[in-house]
Amino acid sequence: MDDYRELKPRSKLFKKIYIAIMLWFVGRSIQAASRVDKDIKKEFDDFPEGFTFSLGVAPNGPYMVVGKDKQGKVKYLGWNRQGKRIDVDMKLKNIEAAFLLFTFQESTCRSSARNRLIVDGDVPTAAAIVRVIDMVEVYLLPKLIAKLAIRRYPSWSIMRTLIGRSRIYFRAILGY
Amino acid sequence: MYSPGYYEFCCRVKIVAGHQALEKIPGLLNDLNANKPLILADKGVTGAGLVKILSAAIENQIEIGSIEDDIPQDSDLKVVNHLANVYRDKGCDAIIAVGGGSVMDTAKGVNIVVSENADDLMKFSGAGTLKHQLKPLIAIPTTSGTGSEVTVAAVIADHQKNKKMLFTSYFLLPNAAVLDSRMTLTLPPFFTAMTAMDAMTHAIEAYTCLAKNPISDAHAIRAIAMISQNLLNVVKNPGDKNGRLALANAATLAGVAFSNSMVGMVHTLGHSVGAICHVPHGTCMSIFLPYALEYNFHKIESFIAEILFPLGGEDMYRSTPKNQRAEKVIELARKLNQDLFDATNGRHSRFLKEIKDREGRQMVPKDKLTEIAATALGDGSIFYNPEELDYDDCLMVLNAAWEGVPLDRSRIKKG
Ligand SMILES: [Fe+2]
Repeated sequence: MDDYRELKPRSKLFKKIYIAIMLWFVGRSIQAASRVDKDIKKEFDDFPEGFTFSLGVAPNGPYMVVGKDKQGKVKYLGWNRQGKRIDVDMKLKNIEAAFLLFTFQESTCRSSARNRLIVDGDVPTAAAIVRVIDMVEVYLLPKLIAKLAIRRYPSWSIMRTLIGRSRIYFRAILGY
Repeated sequence: MYSPGYYEFCCRVKIVAGHQALEKIPGLLNDLNANKPLILADKGVTGAGLVKILSAAIENQIEIGSIEDDIPQDSDLKVVNHLANVYRDKGCDAIIAVGGGSVMDTAKGVNIVVSENADDLMKFSGAGTLKHQLKPLIAIPTTSGTGSEVTVAAVIADHQKNKKMLFTSYFLLPNAAVLDSRMTLTLPPFFTAMTAMDAMTHAIEAYTCLAKNPISDAHAIRAIAMISQNLLNVVKNPGDKNGRLALANAATLAGVAFSNSMVGMVHTLGHSVGAICHVPHGTCMSIFLPYALEYNFHKIESFIAEILFPLGGEDMYRSTPKNQRAEKVIELARKLNQDLFDATNGRHSRFLKEIKDREGRQMVPKDKLTEIAATALGDGSIFYNPEELDYDDCLMVLNAAWEGVPLDRSRIKKG
């Protein structure tokens, strides 16, 4: 199923950069999606104000941090977790594990099933975050690829997917 | 044959099993450089005379530090701290836990406190916070079900803060699990049925869910075979010592399997019914098991089909055409529930609506199903189920399981 090769340091750096860009984009897309999609908004509604979660690679990053501010708005808080209290911490065990996840060769569920994704924090909240990430993936990725990244492709209307997708891309790139 | 690209497996618990396994405990403790154990149990265990049997088996070779049996069903932080103090006051150097899940969890909690010399157990919650070997712990299960004698986890509640904390670490594994037929011999048929169905579920979910791996598979298959060959006999003949020992072995095998490959939606839904309606865990397991197989069928048909061999036996496996084997497994799971219902004079429930408490009241009213479905979405085991489960999916399964009708498979969303 998976294909393992010896990895050279150069490709490791490439992978790190690739993951950093993906994390940045996914982070901004979560922020965008929380304002575009009502299901995603609903998941966030249950989180307390000031809540933060992080997704990244152990032990030295890259990371992304997303939180909910006092007004209840979901915000991408950047790549730096220093000095921030993290409520739900999701860490891939290493760069390789992260690369599998972010090249959509492995779903979030499979990644945690294979002990590559370590989740620390309140379990129901972590479950909600995984649902949010799954939905964001459906927006960002073409169906063929998204189908590999999640367990079941949702039966959303074409309008929801297409309009949502362009609005989320637009907002994620512009950052609002 | 399925093989995951990558997996991790670890079980470093010594298993000592037999009709007179308890007698081996002094030797086990000796090997661990311990000679004054604290014995932990609950009132049910002492009431059934099990601690007496244990004491008689070991006390001429070893000094017992203290016997503490005041562990409630929903043990918590206060109990753990109190027992840790007893451990220190009496100068104990090991723990023997005799009981079911609650006693095991408590013993693991006590072990953290006394080994880390901690004043706040909660500092060690979560995964991987423990860094050192703990004190010797020997687990003696008195039900054949939970498998917690070989699992890395402990759940301990803090009732004051209304919180439940999960601890996971390889250091929480007992040093040894002692399976002795005398410890389960007096378990009433109804409890035997329900706890064994928990073990059966552990094995079947380990074999069919997302983290399955070849080593867990081997444990799971043997567990399924031993339970299906012995459970009904033991429920009908509770004094069958060999059958009892087989079930104890099976529960441990299943525990090894699922602690390395996790469980899926039977537990997702079962935990939630347990949390909201206080239904015993094993009862929920046996009810949801056939439904989970139906729900995930399109994703795991070949794995389910393979279960027919251990579940139905060689003859049935051979005489069933390949493309009907998975369906046959679901049929057998339902039949087993029906047989257990008959053998326990109706105490073993087949569907949610017929579960009753001691006073004969219905435990799962239909109007609770929506709350149960919402709770299920927050259960960690949902990640490991082969198919996605959303609120509507949970509710659909809950409704069918409440009525006791098979799932309408045309309504299962397949993406
Ligand atoms: Fe269980």
